[in-house]
Amino acid sequence: MRTLAGALLFLGAFEAVAADASGFEIADASREAFSRLYAGVSPSIREQALRGRGLFRASWVIPPAADSDIVGLGPIYNQLSCLSCHPKNGRGKAPDTPEQAMRSMLVRLSAPGKGPHGGPLPVTAYGDQLNEQGIPGVPGEGRVSVSYSESEIKLAGGESVKLRMPAYRFTDLHYDPMPADALFSPRVGPPVFGMGLLEAVDEQTLIDLAGKAKPFGIQGRPNRVWDAEKRATVVGRFGLKANVATLKQQAAGAFIGDMGITSPLHPQENCTTVQVACRQAPTLQQPELNNERLESVLTYLRLLQVPARRRSDDPVVQTGEKIFAEIGCAVCHVPTLTTGDFPQMPVLAGQTIHPYSDLLLHDMGEGLADGRPDYEAGGRDWRTPPLWGIGLIEAINEHSQFLHDGRARNLTEAVLWHGGEAAASRQVFIDLPSAKREALLAFLRSL
Amino acid sequence: MRLAYVLIVALWSVVAQAKESLTVLTAYPEEVVSRFETAFEQAHPDIDVQILWRMPHDALPYLSQPEQGGVDVYWSATMRTFQALKRQGAWQKLVLADQGLPTHLGALPLADRDGFYRATEMAGYGFAVNPRYLKMHGLPLPGTWQDLADKRYQGHLALPVPSKVGFAPMMIDSVLQQYGWDQGWALLAEIVANARPVEAGSTFVTDILGAGERGIAPTIDFFTASAIANGAPLQFSYAQPVAYSPAHIAITRASKHSDAARQFLAFVLSEAGQKLLFHADIRKLPVRSDVYGAKPADYFDPFAASLAHPVIYDPETALPRLGLNNAVFDAMFTEHWPRVQALFDRLRQWEARGGDVAKAQRIRALLTGAPISAEQAHEQDLQALFAKRGGDANTEAKDRQWFEAMRKRYDEAEQLLNAAAQL
Repeated sequence: MRTLAGALLFLGAFEAVAADASGFEIADASREAFSRLYAGVSPSIREQALRGRGLFRASWVIPPAADSDIVGLGPIYNQLSCLSCHPKNGRGKAPDTPEQAMRSMLVRLSAPGKGPHGGPLPVTAYGDQLNEQGIPGVPGEGRVSVSYSESEIKLAGGESVKLRMPAYRFTDLHYDPMPADALFSPRVGPPVFGMGLLEAVDEQTLIDLAGKAKPFGIQGRPNRVWDAEKRATVVGRFGLKANVATLKQQAAGAFIGDMGITSPLHPQENCTTVQVACRQAPTLQQPELNNERLESVLTYLRLLQVPARRRSDDPVVQTGEKIFAEIGCAVCHVPTLTTGDFPQMPVLAGQTIHPYSDLLLHDMGEGLADGRPDYEAGGRDWRTPPLWGIGLIEAINEHSQFLHDGRARNLTEAVLWHGGEAAASRQVFIDLPSAKREALLAFLRSL
Repeated sequence: MRLAYVLIVALWSVVAQAKESLTVLTAYPEEVVSRFETAFEQAHPDIDVQILWRMPHDALPYLSQPEQGGVDVYWSATMRTFQALKRQGAWQKLVLADQGLPTHLGALPLADRDGFYRATEMAGYGFAVNPRYLKMHGLPLPGTWQDLADKRYQGHLALPVPSKVGFAPMMIDSVLQQYGWDQGWALLAEIVANARPVEAGSTFVTDILGAGERGIAPTIDFFTASAIANGAPLQFSYAQPVAYSPAHIAITRASKHSDAARQFLAFVLSEAGQKLLFHADIRKLPVRSDVYGAKPADYFDPFAASLAHPVIYDPETALPRLGLNNAVFDAMFTEHWPRVQALFDRLRQWEARGGDVAKAQRIRALLTGAPISAEQAHEQDLQALFAKRGGDANTEAKDRQWFEAMRKRYDEAEQLLNAAAQL
């Protein structure tokens, strides 16, 4: 009862979120639900978004090539297309065995210390991300394989759940041994829909959320990151540690980091000083993605709609939604936010949205820690991931892996990995009677 | 838990794995490539597949490089490239167990007669349809190209321009093969009269249909079939007899990983590989007839369909004249599209009012006749002239000549319609 009172105090009052099925929420539960574009824009903006869709779906080619629109892959890279890591605009997947390659996952790297603006320092020979692939004549940087060890957790009622802890092994490292003190953090490609709405939430809203008193010892704070375009420190909101300021910087960072595609924000190829073949590889044009085409990708991402809730009138789902609030999940996974002014795309302004995220950093405990700081995010901190659409991942992406590195094989495991600020809520989840736990999961699947 | 990360860092090493590297050049999209890559990797964990991507028109120069650009396997729906590279001696002979793999589907060859490449899947041509749109406009579901020429479909079709949309040249040629040169172009003219043009760009046919802008779009099957399998409220109607565009696979002569390449081919052609084509995100037609027993309920079976409507379209026959066909299509329609539609509209209205049959036939002949005959279209020199189109003075002269010939015909048709209007 004390738990419930605390949650109600924080929320003001329990308010069930109903499916909107209009505007940026769309009542579509098909396998294309993450790929619907908001139609209430001018034909020219829609056309721009469709051009962006083409670039998002395109497989990039190595130079020289006749198709100048999509030339410039590499010299080192992880995948050929945006779609590789964000299949059907949804969630990537971790390999299940050491033999499987990372197809929609990558590993961030950094050296200890901070860069001039407070961000991570690259590893001298490998940069800030391990690029496994290289174009012909340019060796890839190396390979990562993942294996798992299992531990068991008993739930109230006698059920047991096995959690798998990943371990990573780097092989075929082609450019010097990796420094012993290098830091790394594996990342599965997250869903990309609804990102325009998250961008349109104004900074003050996030600061206010951080300043609000919270139950269960939960805190939450914004990451403050360098905005290279504004030349200023701002509140970060994209990236798994809220380590990127804007959607444009997130997209341009992925183009250069994942595919080696230069843009006005990253005009240099991602070769380190020791990667001679990479530095000498032929290029056709620079930047490979001009500002106009980068903007079209942004327009596409900004206009991607979010799936509306389903089965919100199901009593089991409604029970689960109440438990979600009662045990403190909704303190971080904030159900409702309102977007602010957004001159970059006014249709996104003033929208009531249901991301189930506060976009803030939370200490998630040692179990999920990557030990790799990123601006003001520490090694145990992660940004609350939005939960919208999470119930459709299994149907659309054909797996049910969650968390930043895909270690959780279902929603139960994902909840059980929560530690740190979420430890109390996790314990309540463990102690719940089975039926209530199932109701909570039914609610998550309705999102 | 922290200990685990410390241990992991200590495990970093430069120990090389003994995986063999296989480079596959393809034009397949991510949805196809990733599934085959993952499944092959699971079946052959000792082989590491690297994918290089090239648009079909850009693969030939890449594979013509020294050492064939390091490519071991080429896998694509560009039969012309396979043929051209065969002439260059660029392929190894395939040594595969052929059990269960048909060599033909009616007139459609599924394997190179000399054994250098082999079909891995097919895509069929037909009509993507928005059933709700058809119902709203009281239109029947079309089953043949002849159906699309009916004036009831005026304003309801979207037709790809073959010189601008990659899959369309073979689709257009399938009409010419099925109905003959003269009747085929006449049929296409009536269809153009009913259709808006679709050029390559950012808009998909499924966008046009989904938005209710048009109700029917002749197209290749897999993209629409995949959209339907993913929940789009569309339908696909195969144009009987169905014409197919096969994709092929070959091993480069320069390959230094021939054994791995053969394993990749064997996998793609295996039951397991062929069944991957059924996936909702792929929806291509397997060439292995025996896997259709396991097809999803709504899947098309070309081998069963060919029993009722034998396949008559042979893409090998079509290939030499595709460029020429595109030029004829542009001269007849692309450059005159609004005018062709206006003239047909007037002709059809005049016919509906009981206009003179002989005059109407004369006007229709002007609107539907191709600028060159079937015999001319088979001249090898003329076909060769259009094999590479653009920037060539001789080709441009022909383009102008045919454009002018069509303009004069349309002028005459307009004069006849004007005269008829004054009667």
